[in-house]
Amino acid sequence: MKKSLKDFSQKKRMYGRMFILPWVIGFIIFFLIPVVQSLIFVFSKVSIGDTNFDTEFVGLANIRYIFFESAKYVDNLYDALISFSYSIPLVVALSLIVGVLLNQKFRGRIVFRSIFFLPVIIATGVVMTYIQGDATAEAMRSGSAEMSTNGIDVTAILQGMHLSKEITNFLVDFVNRIFDLFWDCGVQIVLFISGLQSIPEQLYEVCRVEGANKWEEFWYVTFPMLSGTTILVIVFTAIEVFTDASNTVMRQAYTAMQQQIYDQSAAMLWVYFALVGAILGLVILFLQKAVFSKWAT
Amino acid sequence: MKERKLRLKVAKKKSYKRFTRSTAANIIFVSLLLLAGLFMVLPLIYSIVTSFKPLDELLAFPPKFFVTRPTMHNYTVLPSLLDNLQVPFSRYAFNSLFISVAITVGHILIAGMAAFTLSNCKHKFISTVFWGVQVALLFNGYTLGIPQYIIFSKLGIIDTYWVYILPALQSTTGVFLMKQYMDVSVPKALMEAALLDGAGYYRIFWNLVMPLVKPAWLTLALFAFRDAWAIQPSGTIFSESLKTLPVAMNQIAASGIARSGSVMAATVLLMIPPIAVYLVSQSNVMETMSSAGMKD
Repeated sequence: MKKSLKDFSQKKRMYGRMFILPWVIGFIIFFLIPVVQSLIFVFSKVSIGDTNFDTEFVGLANIRYIFFESAKYVDNLYDALISFSYSIPLVVALSLIVGVLLNQKFRGRIVFRSIFFLPVIIATGVVMTYIQGDATAEAMRSGSAEMSTNGIDVTAILQGMHLSKEITNFLVDFVNRIFDLFWDCGVQIVLFISGLQSIPEQLYEVCRVEGANKWEEFWYVTFPMLSGTTILVIVFTAIEVFTDASNTVMRQAYTAMQQQIYDQSAAMLWVYFALVGAILGLVILFLQKAVFSKWAT
Repeated sequence: MKERKLRLKVAKKKSYKRFTRSTAANIIFVSLLLLAGLFMVLPLIYSIVTSFKPLDELLAFPPKFFVTRPTMHNYTVLPSLLDNLQVPFSRYAFNSLFISVAITVGHILIAGMAAFTLSNCKHKFISTVFWGVQVALLFNGYTLGIPQYIIFSKLGIIDTYWVYILPALQSTTGVFLMKQYMDVSVPKALMEAALLDGAGYYRIFWNLVMPLVKPAWLTLALFAFRDAWAIQPSGTIFSESLKTLPVAMNQIAASGIARSGSVMAATVLLMIPPIAVYLVSQSNVMETMSSAGMKD
């Protein structure tokens, strides 16, 4: 009896290993080994041959270089972090609003949901490159162009209002990126809708019995119940924005890579990832401890 | 299952009542949605409209959004443009289709099997692996480009189909989605019952788990196909006969501004397959995403 049980659990373990093996092998070969190698690049001087490369350990020289000698890295890092500080909250807020709207019951909501999910499907690769590459489409995407707003030049208006240059730049940048921000929302909207649908109906019933209005209902029921989803959405948005090829740090690192300066490029990316990971971790910790736990009781 | 459906039905009826509003609120609500929806579809509509523009309208300044004299010229000229490509167009199309299908099917299988183990084993090692999966979600291709290239050349798969397919198979997003979905939607009691009835693990995986998590793998199919359809080789493929549709499109685009209408036409045609896959898997996407948000 005992023996057969042992056989059984051994068999189970063997099957478990067999099922996960193909993925683990792929993961190690195409992900883990490259990751470790690029980490080695950070601390060494790399010279690439045809099929091989030589690394020579140089300690922190690459990191010192990107921070103190490279012309633009610190500026790029700063720019990237600033643009994250507003684009992530904006994307999260936009998708929350649209998610709440789409969660209402109305005719044709399936069509609307599909429309909002559309960018997720088509906004990749070549298709996007050509939509963005077309001059007219580009002008249309950036709302400040003459044709789409009938000659209203946003920059001129803002300058006329005697706002400071920083604020003007920020607003112009924001208007220019409205399309991009909207197009970044697809998956987040779906996440919010599914989060909304998992809120128990009874809570709303209680609200109505107690005489709460819609506004109170949102802040005391919907928003707190969505805290888990919100954190997931923040993480998802952050990953999407941080790894987007168009942000300044990624572009600089990619250019360096094309010039075959692999060690510095690796250093740039690793410093960036470490920084971003640390900030993201702190933000989530703060949200969990300070904001959302308030409602938990 | 039946009971759950019934309950859902009742809940639906109830909530219909909840959302009766005043007319003013309805108008605000609808116009808000329409405005936001417009933002989403405008670039798409624009590229479709542009693909029907004759040359003089394409180059008109200031550019107009709508076409005044629509023409099919951009589409009818495509075949002759494609004749100028270095290898027959059908070859590019076949490559893209073959690679996309291979990646989609292979990825679902590999991710499903890995998720099956991750979801059922309560071993410490397993949770470590899953933690690795989540960290891996943070990384993207740029960091790994060069080391990966060296691995490709060591494996001897440069300039073959494998170089497209193999690295795409073990994408971590899929394992994450499938595992989360399996945790929620495959009852442990059902698996135990199947084991007692003498089903092997292969049978349980094929006949029990995979059908139950169909929404998850349909969603995965959508994402995998979308990414695979856009694959462009970067320095890993040299023979023209192994390149993909995006490369062919770049060649059309390279023939200058006079061809920009045809490029738009080709873009519109290229959008169709991912949209078709989406229409098939549409209703399942929402369900899968909801389980990704739940904590285990």
